[in-house]
Amino acid sequence: MTAQPTFTEQPLLEVRDFQVELITDAGIIRAVDSVSFSIHRGETVTIIGESGSGKSTTAMGILRLLPEDLAVLSGTVLIDGVDITADPKAIDKVRGKTLALIPQDPMTALSPVHSIGSQLFEAIRIAGAASAKDKGALQARAVRLLEQVHIPTPEKQLKKYPHQLSGGMLQRVLIAIALASEPQLLVADEPTSALDVTVQGGILDLLLELQEQRGIGILMITHDLGVARLISDRIHVMKDGSFVESGEVQQIVDHPATDYTRALLAAVPVLGPWDETPAAAPGRHAANATGSSATSDPALTQTGAKP
Amino acid sequence: MTNYILKRLGQGLLTVFLTVSTVFILIRMAPGDPAVSYAGPLASNEQLAAVREQFGLDRPVLEQYWIFLQQLFTGNLGQSYSFQAPAMQVVAERMPYTLTLATAAILLTAVVAIPLGVWMSRRPDTGKELGVNVLTIAGQSMPDFWTGIMLLTGFAVLVPIFPASGFATWGGLVLPTITIAILQIALISRMVRREMTNNLAAPFLTVARSRGVRSSALTWRYAMGNSAIPVFTALGTRFAAMLNGVVVVEVVFAWPGVGSLIVRALETRDYPLIQATVLLTALLAVGVQLLIDLAYPLLDPRVRLGKAATA
Ligand SMILES: Nc1ncnc2c1ncn2[C@@H]1O[C@H](COP(=O)(O)OP(=O)(O)OP(=O)(O)O)[C@@H](O)[C@H]1O
Ligand SMILES: [Mg+2]
Repeated sequence: MTAQPTFTEQPLLEVRDFQVELITDAGIIRAVDSVSFSIHRGETVTIIGESGSGKSTTAMGILRLLPEDLAVLSGTVLIDGVDITADPKAIDKVRGKTLALIPQDPMTALSPVHSIGSQLFEAIRIAGAASAKDKGALQARAVRLLEQVHIPTPEKQLKKYPHQLSGGMLQRVLIAIALASEPQLLVADEPTSALDVTVQGGILDLLLELQEQRGIGILMITHDLGVARLISDRIHVMKDGSFVESGEVQQIVDHPATDYTRALLAAVPVLGPWDETPAAAPGRHAANATGSSATSDPALTQTGAKP
Repeated sequence: MTNYILKRLGQGLLTVFLTVSTVFILIRMAPGDPAVSYAGPLASNEQLAAVREQFGLDRPVLEQYWIFLQQLFTGNLGQSYSFQAPAMQVVAERMPYTLTLATAAILLTAVVAIPLGVWMSRRPDTGKELGVNVLTIAGQSMPDFWTGIMLLTGFAVLVPIFPASGFATWGGLVLPTITIAILQIALISRMVRREMTNNLAAPFLTVARSRGVRSSALTWRYAMGNSAIPVFTALGTRFAAMLNGVVVVEVVFAWPGVGSLIVRALETRDYPLIQATVLLTALLAVGVQLLIDLAYPLLDPRVRLGKAATA
């Protein structure tokens, strides 16, 4: 473990010895095995690992979105000081309030028979940001949220149904829905993996921008080191349910301690010519230069070449 | 949209036409003679011949068909032999009874099957759910004449709460309605459960849960909202089928609807009455089916708005 920056405030998310056991037909699987980490305001912490290593199970376990009868959680998860493992009801106090999820596949994440507007209004109502009766206030708030995620002609989009929007637009809508409650902590499970490469950068930029404006903490799940490098402060490398390596982005990328991490790094070059055209990659991600994340241009351009 | 409606309407009318034409031929191919049923077994050959001439049955079948087509066009299918009244009118008088029974049965089905299916989907693999599940399988496999006779014996004979037959009071509606609904409830509740189980496991439900949507809204607004379309379609189709398919129940309960009417018409070889019954019930069923098709886009924005382009 690397020395973490010392914070006097309590972390937004503190996970200690977190375990998730899944009851499956084949028996009990310990999908998450004693992981510990924390996220403070304005920080992005990334969990990276191969497929099946337990990343999603960790994220969904923290949100208590795993089926209650098939997933056994243990350890401690404090969300803004509220322990959600000890008391199953406690999660209701944070979901849609301090805590929000950005899902992996925006195309299936909204109800197809309900309009964008009705699903966004609902989120605003749950957050208590506007009363259910005040239609004007609801509408105004919804439009402002869509503007914040740079959706053109927001009034029009509210009337549309999910199938009428592209994947990139839907992910922006989902981010707007997540922001309805002014959350302090966002959990993003591969938020760009289902999207076209051309819109992935835009979504990551948006997350960084929001983080800078509001000091949101982000738990990012990805198997894409390019994404991790771009936005993370710290990375935890996951394998078979536990962290094999943790530390600052740059340190992990420059000096991977395990063969497993080296293998993950070696998988990166498919992403593009990071080393050949230093300006190309960061150029598309404008927010990166000003972002609050620890990533900086040199990190992007220097490290990609190293296997 | 107008094109679509016209096309469906045309298809529907063609179906009705083919149905009545087939019935026209089949009843004339089947054994039995209307003149014999009309004049009685003791009638002389001359008497029978006179009756046949009166009904126009002495003419070649093609000519009879031509007359039938003309009648079809004017909407007057001739006199019923046994009722001595216009066949269409006889059927039209019976129609409200069948409509009442079918409406009552489909309402009871919806009111019981939807909550039951939802309940089963929310408590999968519990003892109670298994019990209800077994009951629905039983309900699905009970023949309706058997259900009808059991209910009759139970609640009209042994414990006489409801009348055994006819529609003299609203109480008479209870047993035939239940008899029809048992099978429908069994089928529809299992369908609701299947749809709900799928939608409760859908990604959009997990995402909605993550933003703090309460469990009742998850079940009804999201899972039911997405299950409603196929369930509504199934209920509509079953309703359309009941309009010409509750024969057994109508006979068991002596219900004065078109189902018992057609049995009588077939027994007496009352050709005009058979044809009028088939025509009207087929028209009604096709009409209901068309309404369901038209309601579909209202329920499903993906159909209504098409696969539109990006934002
Ligand atoms: N519903 C389930 N039933 C049985 N096993 C499961 C289930 N969900 C996850 N697992 C198991 O739990 C482990 C962790 O899975 P998880 O989905 O968390 O991995 P992941 O790191 O998110 O992978 P990916 O990159 O493919 O999304 C895997 O071994 C997987 O097989
Ligand atoms: Mg995953």
